[in-house]
Amino acid sequence: MASGGSDSMKIALIPKEIREKTKSCFECGICTASCPMAELLQPHYNPRILLQKTLTEPEKTLNEDTLWLCAWCYKCYERCPQGLKPPEIFQLLKNEAVKRGFLEGFERAVSKIADVPLSVISLYTCFHPERANISVEKVAEALQKAAIIEEQIPGKAEANQRKKIAIVGSGPAGLTAACELAKAGYPVTVFEALPQPGGMLGKSMPAYRLPRKALESEIQLLEDLGVNMRVNQKVGKDVSFEQLWRNGYKAVFVATGAHKSRRVGIEGEDTKGVVDALEFLWKINMKEKITLGRKVGIIGGGNVAVDAARTALEYGAREATILYRRSREEMPANPWEVNEAEEDGVKLEFLVAPSKIMVKDGKTTGLECIRMELGELDETGRRTPIPVEGSEFSVELDTVIVAIGEEPETSFLPREIELDRGRVAVNPITMETSMKGVFAGGDVVTGSATVIEAVLAGIRAASSINQYLTKLKLEGGAY
Amino acid sequence: MTEKEAEEAPRIGVYVCHCGLNIAGTVNCEAVARFAATLPNVAISKDDRYTCSDQGQELIKNDIKEHNLNRVVVASCSPRLHESTFRKACEDAGLNKYLFEMANIREQCSWVHIHDKEAATEKAKDLVRAAVAKVALLEPAIETEVPITRNALVIGGGVAGIQSALDLADTGYKVYLVEKEPSIGGRMAQIDKTFPTMDCSICILAPKMSDVGHHPNIVLLANSEVQEVKGYIGNFKAKVLKKPRYVTDECSACNDCTEVCPVTVPNEFDIGLATRRAIYTPFAQAVPSTYIIDRGICLNKEGIMACDKCIQACERKAIDFDMEPEPLELEVGTIIVATGAEVYDPSSLTNYGYTRYQNVITSLEFERLINAGGPSGGNLIRPSDRKIPESVAFIQCVGSRSERGNPYCSNVCCMNTIKDSLLIKEHWPDVEIHVFYVDIRAFGKGFEDLYTRAKEEGVIFTRGLPAEIVEDRKTHNLWLIGENTLQKELYKINVGMTILSIGIQPCHDSDTIQRLCTLSRTLDGFFMEAHPKLRPVDAPTGGIFLAGCAESPKDIKDSVTQASAAAARAGILMAQGKVSVEAITPKTIPENCQLCGLCARVCPYNAIAVDKERKLVEVAEAACAGCGTCGAECQFEALHMRHFTDAQIMSQIDALVEEAPDEKIIAFCCNWCAYAGADFAGVSRMQYPPNVRIIRTMCSGRVSPKFVEHALSRGVGAVLVAGCHPGDCHYINANIQTRKRVEKLWKKMDRLGVDKNRLQLLWASAAEGEKVASKAKEMQATLKKLTPEEVEKGKQAFAGS
Repeated sequence: MASGGSDSMKIALIPKEIREKTKSCFECGICTASCPMAELLQPHYNPRILLQKTLTEPEKTLNEDTLWLCAWCYKCYERCPQGLKPPEIFQLLKNEAVKRGFLEGFERAVSKIADVPLSVISLYTCFHPERANISVEKVAEALQKAAIIEEQIPGKAEANQRKKIAIVGSGPAGLTAACELAKAGYPVTVFEALPQPGGMLGKSMPAYRLPRKALESEIQLLEDLGVNMRVNQKVGKDVSFEQLWRNGYKAVFVATGAHKSRRVGIEGEDTKGVVDALEFLWKINMKEKITLGRKVGIIGGGNVAVDAARTALEYGAREATILYRRSREEMPANPWEVNEAEEDGVKLEFLVAPSKIMVKDGKTTGLECIRMELGELDETGRRTPIPVEGSEFSVELDTVIVAIGEEPETSFLPREIELDRGRVAVNPITMETSMKGVFAGGDVVTGSATVIEAVLAGIRAASSINQYLTKLKLEGGAY
Repeated sequence: MTEKEAEEAPRIGVYVCHCGLNIAGTVNCEAVARFAATLPNVAISKDDRYTCSDQGQELIKNDIKEHNLNRVVVASCSPRLHESTFRKACEDAGLNKYLFEMANIREQCSWVHIHDKEAATEKAKDLVRAAVAKVALLEPAIETEVPITRNALVIGGGVAGIQSALDLADTGYKVYLVEKEPSIGGRMAQIDKTFPTMDCSICILAPKMSDVGHHPNIVLLANSEVQEVKGYIGNFKAKVLKKPRYVTDECSACNDCTEVCPVTVPNEFDIGLATRRAIYTPFAQAVPSTYIIDRGICLNKEGIMACDKCIQACERKAIDFDMEPEPLELEVGTIIVATGAEVYDPSSLTNYGYTRYQNVITSLEFERLINAGGPSGGNLIRPSDRKIPESVAFIQCVGSRSERGNPYCSNVCCMNTIKDSLLIKEHWPDVEIHVFYVDIRAFGKGFEDLYTRAKEEGVIFTRGLPAEIVEDRKTHNLWLIGENTLQKELYKINVGMTILSIGIQPCHDSDTIQRLCTLSRTLDGFFMEAHPKLRPVDAPTGGIFLAGCAESPKDIKDSVTQASAAAARAGILMAQGKVSVEAITPKTIPENCQLCGLCARVCPYNAIAVDKERKLVEVAEAACAGCGTCGAECQFEALHMRHFTDAQIMSQIDALVEEAPDEKIIAFCCNWCAYAGADFAGVSRMQYPPNVRIIRTMCSGRVSPKFVEHALSRGVGAVLVAGCHPGDCHYINANIQTRKRVEKLWKKMDRLGVDKNRLQLLWASAAEGEKVASKAKEMQATLKKLTPEEVEKGKQAFAGS
């Protein structure tokens, strides 16, 4: 062979088992077409090609900047016909690159990440260089500098300056759209119901995942760009939707996220000691006093459940156990976050569903549960949990944190805006809603998703709003 | 002569083959022959350049006569290659063919120890010693013959079943054709056109269906189910339940009844795109044409008459609500399983929105839409607004070649899509057609031409599957978002309708047929053939044959070809009128038998019956396939496993461990997978340590725990039991017993303080020579750590076994 020993090298870089499985990739392109980063950085990032390179030229990939552009959203894995996990395969090579001191690729990647809106927030919440032992703080500093320099470049089109835009919600989708539209010269006002901007980023994301300073500096950058940030302004309460038009706004972007916690629907759910995960995390972030029991159970399997469990341990719980009704494979939470939670001491119980909150003297004393087994695939493509008859058991708990998912709150929206299964219905290409001039994006459209997906939604919406306001025909047609 | 053979002391002739340099290049064949001459009972020992040649065989034949040999050993290649050749030579010389044994010194010796001539020669000697020991104990046997009933049962009335039934009936055999649906025709009846010739599917099928209906040799049992199959090759007894149609043969199919029937439900034949009544015929060309009443939805429930509209409307008085199910018992000699397949249900692929978006349909639904006899009268209309779409997209490999669906290629979908795209172009040339694919597999006769034609007609083929389909809520048009993997660009394409080219998968009830007919299935779930190359339509169970998609996904032409082949194979058996059974079946030893029934319980073929009253265990020889798992299960030595007796196998073990037992690994390998895998390692010249000594059994299920214990008591270093992968067992599931026994042995070894790593279990297919070789290496490594004390401990622990 020409490259003697290269095969043994390949084996050394990626475990044989993973290599063998990766060979089943038939390059259908579903990963790339599902990848928010591929769309954001088009055509510079293509996970399909990168994945193939890990097989054919693993040595070369160590120097690739693309290796560092995966945002860990797992969209590729969700849809990959072969069930491959590109983020984890790339991580193996990142580790190797760092081990060998190959950091040029990473440095080039950082300059590309700098082009992503909310780059510092994205860095902390999506890119995770720290997983390859690279200091995330240092990279964040570099990104901040780059962002400041960039924003000094004036490029404001005069014609746009008279068309006011209202953005409802200041989460990643809203902030991204605000940033893009402000750069294009529009006067942008962001309405935020909470006393601080950031949406879910500030409300429920623990500080260990996103330092407050990083969020604050991003918002400062936006304000420097001229974005008018109005906190404590709940549209539908403090300002009515109709008022926005009356106040001269020409376009509205609804990016209110998904903040309504789902209820488990079991007996005793309203007992003292049963808390909603988002509220719990919010109180912690607001430094409010919370009372936690010694034994905490968390119902759910998503990132919020994992965050809540880790935060509970941090804030005094002796034991935190996640109770999830399917198995580890089906957990919607990022697998590496689950692993980190386990390292923190969080316990995991799989194939368990709660059936009743046990109450004594008005206080939560435990949870009655039933064991589950997995049946056929359901409409979400996951195996349906089925209760195992006669497998009831109970666990002693002082606090039960409910984290079984969030849904959008849409009651403030005018009736003209159509909904689809409780979420705002949009033209999937233009993000336009059924009401003229109103666009929507982020969790309020998709249900809970990752930061990078919200950023992409913000970009798409900004581009459509720009087209709409400059009277261009919207690519992809009307709603 | 046979009795004489049995009585006389063994006089063994040993022939060591050079196989040119294939063996002699590594093994010192002269030395092996000289060594063989010193072994007990060996009358003559020779080495020869090519023993399988005519001259080589003549030498054996002459020696048998000249030296009055009554046993023969040939040390050469694998018995899987030439055992039958040498058996025939023995027979020609008047020696019973069961008095012959082979030592495999090529595939399992010279080819796998090329660089260690000395060790290879020593191993060859050991293997010859074991063959000589076994041959001395072999017994002459006569193969029994069983008569064959000259009737056939065909299960499934799709095109494969129809073709098999017609071929057999035309040959002159009586055929029972059982179909669970009210009409025969199967999937082919639902399809509009066939590729690559674009024939009208029902137009070419309907005459065949009609032939079935009228053939004097065919008994058509539609709306019927096979409930039980008992017996064995040539002598099956099948119970079939003929369910009532509630309409008699007087029916003239005039359709007066359906017009008055008040109950309407979605029509299965049109996959719910149209409706039918409670009294109906599935489709216009149905055979039998007699109507049927669906009592599940008819207003007239058991004992309650709420509606008599059909009775009133029927001039010929053909409606009979009192019809009863009719149990039938059929005696047949052969069975053809043509139970077909199902299509993949894409609703679990949420990113494609099937069932959520009206204009996303499956390829089978499309067939009904484009069919002139279908619900839209052959007009290409999309469900949301019943208008002809300006553009359509086909998505390939939906549910195929995927971990989320089925791992295999479904074989027909590429050509089906190409055919469908041309059908659209033929009638509506302006419709824009996109085909999203990963590979177009146009491998058959005339396929590539059709593919080229589609491209010429303007069908746009894009490599790269959509990641997601999203619906435009106003227009109900669909956005397909994906990557063009050749251009390396993302695409967003808007179309009016999308057709998911869904794959084929085994029937959900194929486990029932599997159980009834004692069949095996591949990991994919399709029925397994007896040999993938040389017996592709035979089931592993004698007298049962496979046709159509039940065996694997295939198109109409291949189904018909296979159906004719299955009919021919069944016909050969029935023409012969009798069948001989290899004499490797067990003989019971009634004086030892305790009637415990364990043997019957483990028999994968239900070939053993315990008659407690008559105090007898009976083996239905024709049903037995000779795996020997009963023999391994029996605690009382009441089963004499012919040609693989306990004594014979023990003698092999003893011979192999005569010298330096602690350095050796005894490997029991099943004939079909592990032994074949070891042969494959040889053919591929994969090198492994020369201390492995393989003993062949038909199935790993034959390996009795006492063989393992005996080997350990003789101080052998390690033992390997190797068989087919679970699910691939050539004796249905006998290797489940293997696993149980090995697990039990591990526990016992643990208990007795013997290192259980000294017993290993391996599943290796015939293609996995690499696995056999690496297992040998791995075991060699553990063997090196084995101390004399541990060997002694094993000896003590199992002493007396």
